Amino acid sequence: MVARDKPALKVCRNLEEDLVLYYYGELSESARSNCETHLKNCEACRASLAEMRSLLPMTAAHEEPAQAFWDDYSRELRRKLDAVAERETWWRRIVALVAPLPVPALATGAVLLLALALTFGKGLWQPSAPAPDDESFMEVLPIAEQLDFFSDMELLDNLDLLETLGGQGKGTA
Amino acid sequence: MAAIPTAQIGDEELVASAQKGDRRAFEELVERHQQKAYRIAFDFSRDREEAKDLSQEAFLKAFTHISRFDGRSGFYTWFYRILVNVCLDYRRRAKRTSTEEFNETVEGRVEPSLLVSNPVSPDQQAIAGQLSRRVGAALETLPAKQRMAFILKNHQGLSIREIAETMETAEGTVKVHLHRAVTALRQSLAEFA
Repeated sequence: MVARDKPALKVCRNLEEDLVLYYYGELSESARSNCETHLKNCEACRASLAEMRSLLPMTAAHEEPAQAFWDDYSRELRRKLDAVAERETWWRRIVALVAPLPVPALATGAVLLLALALTFGKGLWQPSAPAPDDESFMEVLPIAEQLDFFSDMELLDNLDLLETLGGQGKGTA
Repeated sequence: MAAIPTAQIGDEELVASAQKGDRRAFEELVERHQQKAYRIAFDFSRDREEAKDLSQEAFLKAFTHISRFDGRSGFYTWFYRILVNVCLDYRRRAKRTSTEEFNETVEGRVEPSLLVSNPVSPDQQAIAGQLSRRVGAALETLPAKQRMAFILKNHQGLSIREIAETMETAEGTVKVHLHRAVTALRQSLAEFA
């Protein structure tokens, strides 16, 4: 396509958006009338509109895929729909089984399931190793016991000291 | 009683049947809208494989959620809202992951035999190809929402009100998107005017 010299004229700024809407036929009656009046007297806006009319339809042109493409498309989509429908059916079966039951029956069932899980699950559950928190507790516990021991020892030392001091006091008295 | 040909049945009736689990009714809706859906997705992504995936994803979502369609808007508007969201989501995903050169994907990844060939001269073909690539590149530079507003208006001929409804935004916003898109495209494609 041959490149064309662009019009040197400047489009009226306040009418730029309206020109686009005018081109697409989206202006109100009064705005369209104003725009047309303006276009009669403004060469730059007329040139701008002409440019839109020549350029914008070209941007919408495209190559249409052939029938073989659409056959492929339909086949592929049908396969995907089958997969979705299969998943949906699975869920619907479960919902259909559960839905007709009254709410109290469902609640009773849920409580029963929970009770069974707690009763029988308890024996199955074997803690293989202490949890990290338990481990750290087990490490800290002996230290704490030792601290108690040391503080007791300190108290005993102090008692001895008090007794000694008490004895000295009696002696002096 | 003779069955009414599906072509004479309106979208609303087909939707009602699809909501009752009539798969054939949904497939008829697909057939009615697949070309437009594909076209929008193609104009948006400029890649045939992506366009196929995006439009099919929109149909699958519509199929899954057809029971939620309440008929307040037309099926067309409801479906295109899904499609627009799928495309905009794709754009967000692509922005995060893709570093590919756009021009490599434009009009790419398609078997030539799957395109309808037009009886035009090699020169015309070359110009059309060049323009198509330039349009693709120019559209690619537009922000996703501007591009979508432009495609829905310029390529699909939807009204501003319909675009606003489809894009779930205000009509004023659509007008601004459209104006900016047209201005940017005119600058990019001035040599073809």
